[in-house]
Amino acid sequence: MGEMAEKIICCHECDELLRIPATRKEGRLKCPRCGTVLLRQKKGMVEIMYALSIAAAILFLLTNYFPFLSFHVVGNTSHANFMTSIVYLFGEKDWLIGIAVLMTTVIVPMIRIGLMLSLFGPIYHGIVPPYTIFALKVLSHSLPWAMLDVFLVGVFVSMVKLVKMGTIIPGLSLWAFMVMVFVMAAMQVVFDPQPLWEKVDQRRREKGVA
Amino acid sequence: MRAIDLGMASCHTCHEVVKLPKVKGEGAVLCPRCGEEVHLRKPNSIQYTWALVIASIILYIPANVLPMMEVETFAGTQADTIISGVIYFLETGSYLIASVIFIASIIVPITKLILLSYLLISVQKKSPLHKKKRKKLYVLTEIIGKWSMVDVYVVAIMIALVHFGGMTEIKAGDGATYFLLVVVVTMIAAMQFDPKLIWDTEIQEKKETDARNA
Repeated sequence: MGEMAEKIICCHECDELLRIPATRKEGRLKCPRCGTVLLRQKKGMVEIMYALSIAAAILFLLTNYFPFLSFHVVGNTSHANFMTSIVYLFGEKDWLIGIAVLMTTVIVPMIRIGLMLSLFGPIYHGIVPPYTIFALKVLSHSLPWAMLDVFLVGVFVSMVKLVKMGTIIPGLSLWAFMVMVFVMAAMQVVFDPQPLWEKVDQRRREKGVA
Repeated sequence: MRAIDLGMASCHTCHEVVKLPKVKGEGAVLCPRCGEEVHLRKPNSIQYTWALVIASIILYIPANVLPMMEVETFAGTQADTIISGVIYFLETGSYLIASVIFIASIIVPITKLILLSYLLISVQKKSPLHKKKRKKLYVLTEIIGKWSMVDVYVVAIMIALVHFGGMTEIKAGDGATYFLLVVVVTMIAAMQFDPKLIWDTEIQEKKETDARNA
C-alpha cells in the first residue's frame, strides 16, 4: 500500500512537511526550504558512540582525579585540581558563579557522558533500555549547558595571562581534559537521536500488538 | 506545505509529527512518543524573548561597570572591569588575550542581543525577506551564546591558581555575577525564540494571492 511506504516528517526549524520513503536507511536529508539537516542516518553510529562514550567516561575520571595545573611564583606554589576553582568560589560565597561553573563543567558533562554510555552500551548489545525516552529527553535539553569547550579556551587564556608572572606546570588532568573536549565534540557530531526514537516507536508498536 | 497548515506540529524534543486537535481544549497536547508538550508554535515566544532580551540589556550595564576580578596583594586591592582588563592586555602587548576577551565578553553578547532584536522585529513585521539568511542568523545566535562564558571561566581559573594564602589572592567581583546572568539569560532568550515564526508569512502571502485571484 502507498501509505505504508511513506512517512511524514516535519522540519524543526521552518515547519516544512516532507514525505519520505519509510524504508529510507542511509544518507543525509536536508530540508528543501531552509537547508537544515533533518536526517543524518550515518552507518555505524551506535558503535562509534559506544566507543566514544567509553573514552569520554575514562577521560572524565582522569580529569577529575589527577592534578590540573600548578603555578609557581618565587618560592610559592599553588596546586589546582579541576574543581579547585569551584571550592574557592563557594568558600568566598560566590554562589551563582560557583554553581554555574560546577554545572557547566562537571555535572552536565558527567550526566551527558553517563547517559550516552548507559544508552549506547545496551543498544550496542541489542537491548533498548526502558529509560531510553528519559535519557534522550535529558540529552536534548542539556546540550547547550555543557561548556567544556568554552572552559578549554578559558584555560588557555588564563595560562597565557599567568605565564608572565611565574611558571605553570600542567598536570595529567589537563591533558586528559583536552582530549576529552575533542572526544565530546566528536560525540556531538556523530550523535543522532532519530534512530533511537525509532527504536522507541518499534517497542511501542510491539507492546500495542501484544 | 507547512505542518501548521494541516494542524500538525513536530515535537520540540523528539521531532515526532503530531496532529493537534482543531478546537483548543483545556491543557496542553502531549507528544505520544516522549510525553513533552507539543505546540504549533512556542507559546508567547515573542513576548518571552523580548522580556529576556531587555533583561539582559539591563544586566549588561552592571556587568560592565562593576569589577570582574579583584586582585588582593599586600600592597592593596586592584579591581578590573571587562574593559579595563582588555585595555590592560592591549597596553602590555598581549593582543591575543585582549582580542579573545574582547570578542567573548563584548562582541558576542552585543551581537546576540542585536540579532535577537532584529529577528523579533522582522518576525513581528511579518517580513517576507531573507528568510533563509535569518534562519542562519538564528542558528548563529544559538551557537555563539555559550562562548561568552570564557571570561567567567578565566576568573574562576585565576582564583584557583593565584591563591597564596594571604599574600596574593584573586577574588571574583560582582561584575562577574552580572555577566554570568547576561550569558544565561541571553541563552534562554535564544531558546525561547521560535524560528518557525520566520516562515509564518506564507499564510498571509497565500491569502493575498487568493484574494487577488478571486
